[in-house]
Amino acid sequence: MADEELGPLPAGRHGFSREQVAHNQRERLIAGLATAVAEKGYRATTITDITKQARVSRRVFYENFEGKEECFLAAFEVVVGHVRELATDAVDGGGEWPEKAVAAARATLAFFADEPDLASLCLVESQAAGAVVAARFHEAVHEVVPYLEQGRNQRQADRELPPTTEDSTIGALVMLASRKVAAGEAEQLEELLPEFAEFILAPYLGADRAGEIAHSPPLQGPRPRSSATWR
Amino acid sequence: MRALPGKASRQPPGPEPVSRAASADDQRRRILESTADLIAEQGFAETTIEQIVRRARVGYATFYKHYGDKEEAFLALLDAALNRTAYVVEEAYDGESGPWPDKVGAGLGALLKLAAEHPSVARACLVEAPTAGPEAAARHEAMLKRFAPLLRPGRELNPRADKLPESLEETLAGGVLWVINQRLIAGEAEKLRTLLPEALEFLLRPYVGEEVAAREAAGPSHQVTSA
Repeated sequence: MADEELGPLPAGRHGFSREQVAHNQRERLIAGLATAVAEKGYRATTITDITKQARVSRRVFYENFEGKEECFLAAFEVVVGHVRELATDAVDGGGEWPEKAVAAARATLAFFADEPDLASLCLVESQAAGAVVAARFHEAVHEVVPYLEQGRNQRQADRELPPTTEDSTIGALVMLASRKVAAGEAEQLEELLPEFAEFILAPYLGADRAGEIAHSPPLQGPRPRSSATWR
Repeated sequence: MRALPGKASRQPPGPEPVSRAASADDQRRRILESTADLIAEQGFAETTIEQIVRRARVGYATFYKHYGDKEEAFLALLDAALNRTAYVVEEAYDGESGPWPDKVGAGLGALLKLAAEHPSVARACLVEAPTAGPEAAARHEAMLKRFAPLLRPGRELNPRADKLPESLEETLAGGVLWVINQRLIAGEAEKLRTLLPEALEFLLRPYVGEEVAAREAAGPSHQVTSA
């Protein structure tokens, strides 16, 4: 988080409405939590750490959030919202279902590779922040399931895949990515793209076709940088 | 729930005198059972030593004789549960004399059964372990690594085995643990055993293809008639 974005509000008559100031404070607290959690982990982060980073008072914190968990959930939602947007843009980029699915995976991995702190917040700390957050994390991951299920239309076989196929697939990939982030290798997340692609596509296209796509040159080349920022 | 490794019930209040060693074992077991239940109910962060000793019906001195703090008690619980899980799964896997897919089915069946029978311990280990600091989280990682060698022989059945990613086994184990986790978070531990056929298909498919995986998963021994 760049400092200039987090500078204190100018004192005195700055012409911002009360709502604007309140909104700004909430955003600063969310960013403050992200920084503090990246430095110390969720468990060790205190409200004081958050308010110090955000440069707002404790009172303001409690006007916005009941406690650390609620603030974390707010930060989690911001990041998830942004990833959702990037993935949706990637899907809207066109192509058949396999290309769309791979594009969404690529956009997600690229974002987290660019933002290791947010990767840690979203993929590692969300599992360390207690059952309420863990449940929310599972829900957010589950949002991907309907998109994966569209792959079922690509299948040649008449047989229906078991209902938990998509949950197992996305769960396996989330665990794979979160373990990489936990190991301090968030910046290398994009190395996982071929594995992601193969894993996502195989149930629908078969292992051979999935392997071909996963190891095809377009997946190996440089990726388009996303110009969007999460903030 | 009295779910801890080893004995299924507390010591009977029978007339026989209880030896000192047996009594220390019993204390430890009661402490760990209570720790598991409390952590499963309200989370690691909210659980206090006061609650643990009260539920375990032991004194503070007894607690501190065995464990330095609640984290140490939780780590002891995780280690006991992990060892127990690995033992039960490996025993079922090794005890199955059929081909590799049957062995995987037996191991997975044992895992799901264990988790369904001991939902508090399962929930404490899977959902709460990551919340209790890096050492507890490392136990979770150790679990994935422990299961990987049971899946690896599947590579011999795959003609393009050289193209399979190195971490495939851990990824697959992660997918199964994820779905188990999902059920535990939803409070549906009793439904865990019904996952067996589909989780088995998920584990086998990358090695033997869908057709064989589905046939194996539909095998009579993997059908759960009652949850």
